[in-house]
Amino acid sequence: MATAVAVPQEGPLRRWWRVLRVSFWLGWQIETNWTDPLLFFIYSLAKPLGGVLILVFMYFVVARGGQGPMLGFFVVGTALWPFVLRGMMGIAWGLISDREHWKTLRYIYTSPIPYRGYLIGRALAQATSAVAPAVITLIFGRYVLGVPLHLANVNVQYAAVAMITGIAGIVALGLVVVSAAMLISGEAWRMPEGVGAGLYLVSGAIFPVTTLPGPLQTLSQVFPLTWWLEAMRRGLLGPLSVRSFAWAGDAQVLAYEVVVTAVWIIVATFIFGIAERRARQLGILDQESAY
Amino acid sequence: MTTASIPRVRGLRRVLRAALGRSYPRIIGQNRERSWLFYDTVLPLLGTIAFVYVYKALGAPDRFIGYVIMGGATTAFWMNVMWNMAAQFYWDKQGGNLELYMVVPCGITPILLGMSLGGFVATVLRAVAIVLIGSLMFHVRFDISNLGVFLLVFGVAVVALYGLGVTFASLFLLWGREAWHMAELFMEPVFLASGFYFPVRALGFWAAMGTSLIPLTLALDAMRQLLFGAAHPALLPVWWEVAGLVFLAVLFIVLARFMLARMEYLARREGRLSLRF
Repeated sequence: MATAVAVPQEGPLRRWWRVLRVSFWLGWQIETNWTDPLLFFIYSLAKPLGGVLILVFMYFVVARGGQGPMLGFFVVGTALWPFVLRGMMGIAWGLISDREHWKTLRYIYTSPIPYRGYLIGRALAQATSAVAPAVITLIFGRYVLGVPLHLANVNVQYAAVAMITGIAGIVALGLVVVSAAMLISGEAWRMPEGVGAGLYLVSGAIFPVTTLPGPLQTLSQVFPLTWWLEAMRRGLLGPLSVRSFAWAGDAQVLAYEVVVTAVWIIVATFIFGIAERRARQLGILDQESAY
Repeated sequence: MTTASIPRVRGLRRVLRAALGRSYPRIIGQNRERSWLFYDTVLPLLGTIAFVYVYKALGAPDRFIGYVIMGGATTAFWMNVMWNMAAQFYWDKQGGNLELYMVVPCGITPILLGMSLGGFVATVLRAVAIVLIGSLMFHVRFDISNLGVFLLVFGVAVVALYGLGVTFASLFLLWGREAWHMAELFMEPVFLASGFYFPVRALGFWAAMGTSLIPLTLALDAMRQLLFGAAHPALLPVWWEVAGLVFLAVLFIVLARFMLARMEYLARREGRLSLRF
């Protein structure tokens, strides 16, 4: 006669924490163990440093030498953008690669874990891999390009709050993107990249949103990334930063960032629930497209 | 029982038939899948527009916007070469096609030739769309009085570029998961080194000469000279750049042949041809 083994019950918070931790570790392994640490380090740096140098050369061919506040704008934007690429797009690619590449989605999904927690853990692992490139890009900006990233200018508490809120906003955006990826197949690989490219254009990553046409300026304020980047520039560069929202004070920018992020977290939770239910109803949650 | 007669083609005819056969799914497939058409055109265009706004924020003269639009169109070619040529064998490994390519009687070279041909036809449509849409959006004017030379530069550059793509494809044949990341690694640094968004002369003469090993460096500089005239800070005179591109085309074709044979041998010996992960 079979006997039931007593399984210790976990509270939901502890379970979430455990899932986050394990999926973070898994995501980190997938992200980093394809090569040796040195090549991974070079790979991590090449993209943001290449990006910032493109902007620096664009700046110098127009300005013909000299330094200006736009350099600081470029450096901070380019240093922080990998968090978006890896965090937001990474969460979607986590689902897509589990579904299409590793073919493990059905096993992960049917295991007794909160799937949302698993995806967030994967996204946070990807976002963590953006820390080193961000720091080195900022150091490069400070010491090679002479950007005024002086410790005396940096408002540490302000930047820390902006950063934590920003990561939450990136994860919320990622949940919306992953919701769409659940419901589509063939285009799923390209879609996160498309969303990323669109956000790169409208969120003031490499130029102030005041340069955009009126309707796009309004649209840019809907996304938490715009407020995050603005707040981070103010936190890191102080009063010397070029501003996308000159009408807003520092506290106002941070408040907007927190509010917009909170709204996106609520919206993302709602949309993810609907998409998950819909994908299960249609039987396409683990549908492979062979692309 | 009779055996069906199979037409026996050899030599150049076999190479051409195999190449055309491999290019067919590329041309038809890429244009049949509407979403790919959208993403392949819109994605480089969004990035291009972002860089246009950088120049607008810096108050740059209008010709810089033209530079960026040309760089955006070139991005489509570079992405095609890296993702659909260099990394293609990685996808084929995943899909199980690579083993089939290895056992067909035509050999791997015509397969790569067909991939290049198909990729080029599909990409040229997207590049033209990027230039047209970008020019109309930002009212950019190009001087097309030297259209013949422009087409010559473009043609030679494409041969050199796809030769480089085949060389990379042979390297990628050895890689598993690294292929994806290595293709990623060759994006922004190449955009920087080849001056996709600014005149490459800004890197300094000798640095730009060094990065001219990437065919797009010379091609972009020559095409910008032809489209923007004396306003463009040239790296070298146009005909020198054409000669450089011809040299690179020959170099990469020879190198591709050598590398392909060498890497195929290594991949077979080390058992990596069917190694998926």
